[in-house]
Amino acid sequence: MKPTLLQSKPVSLLTGLLLLIALILSLLIGVTMGSVHIAAADVYNVILQHFSWYEVQPLGVERAVYDIVWLLRMPRLVLAAAVGMGLAVCGAVMQAIMKNPLADPYILGISSGASLGAALAILCGVGTAFGANYIGICAFGGAFIMALAVLVIAGHGGESHPVKLLLTGMALGSVSSAFSSFIVYISNDIDGIQRVTYWLMGSLAGANWKSLTVIFPVVLGAVMFFWSQSRILNLMLMGDETAVTLGTNLHHYRQAYLVVCALVVGFVVYAAGMIGFVGLLIPHIVRMLFGTDHNKLIPLCALVGAVFLIWADVLCRIILPKTELPIGVLIALVGAPFFVYLMTRKVYHFGSRT
Amino acid sequence: MELQVSDIEIVLGDQLVLQRVSIIVKPGEFVGIIGPNGSGKSTLLKCIYRVLLPSRGVVLLSGYPLSAMSLRQSAQCMAVVAQHNVASFDFTVQEIVLLGRSAHKKMMERDHAGDYAIVRECLDKVGLAAFADRSFSTLSGGEQQRVMLARALAQKTSCLILDEPTNHLDIKYQLQLMDIVKTSHLTVLAAMHDLNIAAMYCDKLFAMEDGKIVGSGTPEQLLTPDFIRMLYGVTAKIVKDADTGKISIIYQAGAV
Repeated sequence: MKPTLLQSKPVSLLTGLLLLIALILSLLIGVTMGSVHIAAADVYNVILQHFSWYEVQPLGVERAVYDIVWLLRMPRLVLAAAVGMGLAVCGAVMQAIMKNPLADPYILGISSGASLGAALAILCGVGTAFGANYIGICAFGGAFIMALAVLVIAGHGGESHPVKLLLTGMALGSVSSAFSSFIVYISNDIDGIQRVTYWLMGSLAGANWKSLTVIFPVVLGAVMFFWSQSRILNLMLMGDETAVTLGTNLHHYRQAYLVVCALVVGFVVYAAGMIGFVGLLIPHIVRMLFGTDHNKLIPLCALVGAVFLIWADVLCRIILPKTELPIGVLIALVGAPFFVYLMTRKVYHFGSRT
Repeated sequence: MELQVSDIEIVLGDQLVLQRVSIIVKPGEFVGIIGPNGSGKSTLLKCIYRVLLPSRGVVLLSGYPLSAMSLRQSAQCMAVVAQHNVASFDFTVQEIVLLGRSAHKKMMERDHAGDYAIVRECLDKVGLAAFADRSFSTLSGGEQQRVMLARALAQKTSCLILDEPTNHLDIKYQLQLMDIVKTSHLTVLAAMHDLNIAAMYCDKLFAMEDGKIVGSGTPEQLLTPDFIRMLYGVTAKIVKDADTGKISIIYQAGAV
């Protein structure tokens, strides 16, 4: 197979630039769309008010419009970008760490840990002292503790190989799923059970500027960090033995990357619940089009993930009148067929070719 | 660069896999290790290229103990072509060879023009210059193995370890690969299956059986019909070519 035009260096640079423009356009277009119709001029007037160099137009915008645009739509779009970026990049990194194309950010029991945290918070009232978003905080705790537990247990007695990490994650994941099921089973709180289910479907509705000031820098920092690590990530796909002969012991890198991923995923779970499939889908799509080299893969995944999730969320908000489609449902419905289409159309072996 | 292995032992479980193995490879020498399957050739090489830690004994590179060097340092002195390995996920040939430069890179350092020049030069050496942008998984077995050799050459080391590098290759690629190695004038230690190939290219051979060194010498000294019968349990006769002075081994059918 000849490399496609897309895989050459200048073209991927250009693609990166185009994607960056697409991201900015998506934010600007996305903010004008929603269940309430607001004129584009008013929307941009509200946004521009926040830049000191812009003189506020005298045509006073109503308070309600201001609230919708600046306190609901904007943070939600920015959160969508951050979540998409974080999940797509963590997915690519996890696939490298595990040397397994089926890995995604929630592998290693992180999703079960988060669900257990959420179930404990909603049904048992654990952590109500943490304030309004105590469910998110408990889910964050569950996810992060789970990831660390997997690391520690898999690292016990020798170095943690990908298979060992995977199996440990599965085992611990089953244990915490069992606990979640048990809590749901003994709880008589029908409303609470529904909230757990809804929470597991993921939603960006809870976005606010305050939590974004933490989440956005964390995600962006992680993306930059992983971008700087592209050579090590490439080595990970070569396997441990080859990496040793090339002068690198992957063990410590693997542990460090897992902690960074757990942190990012923890924050994503805190802000948006569980949004599945993005972290699996985006890295594969980008890899199919632009190749495996992480130097290209990481930044492109970040941009594609951000744009993808912005539009997925916009669609969720407008596709059904008067109500919102859960974003996880939409992504699976739209993403999976597209993924299958790409897979059948192009020669792509997920590395399983021998 | 001189490579010296002295009194290496390896215990896996309760089994002694290597017993007091000592070999020496002088600078610029091409040394082969022969022996039947399971005799410990690969295990010995894994000790040398640091995937296995010997239970006893030391490996010295230019008189300097390997255990006192970082992986980065040893990868700057010693490159490895392991048994035919399939890379999962799809890299281009250039991306794979570029990884050979890893040991010369700092944590966050990016690849610069000099690295790309080395990659081009090494691909040229193995005759794959036109394949730089090809996807690795679409290459034939022989081409893939030459990519692995190019990656090892890109490490710019003075010592090269080969673990049955010609496995699964047809005869043309076997000779081609060994020629490239031979003309690179590196210090080479190679585990070999094929005695004829070993006799053609090696300056010196070590024979292994049950984790021990059971013989050493030039191919002509070591590979006698008696020794081959002792080592492999097959009957063979040795013919010396008048033109090249190299020996060939002719196996006899039905004589096992």
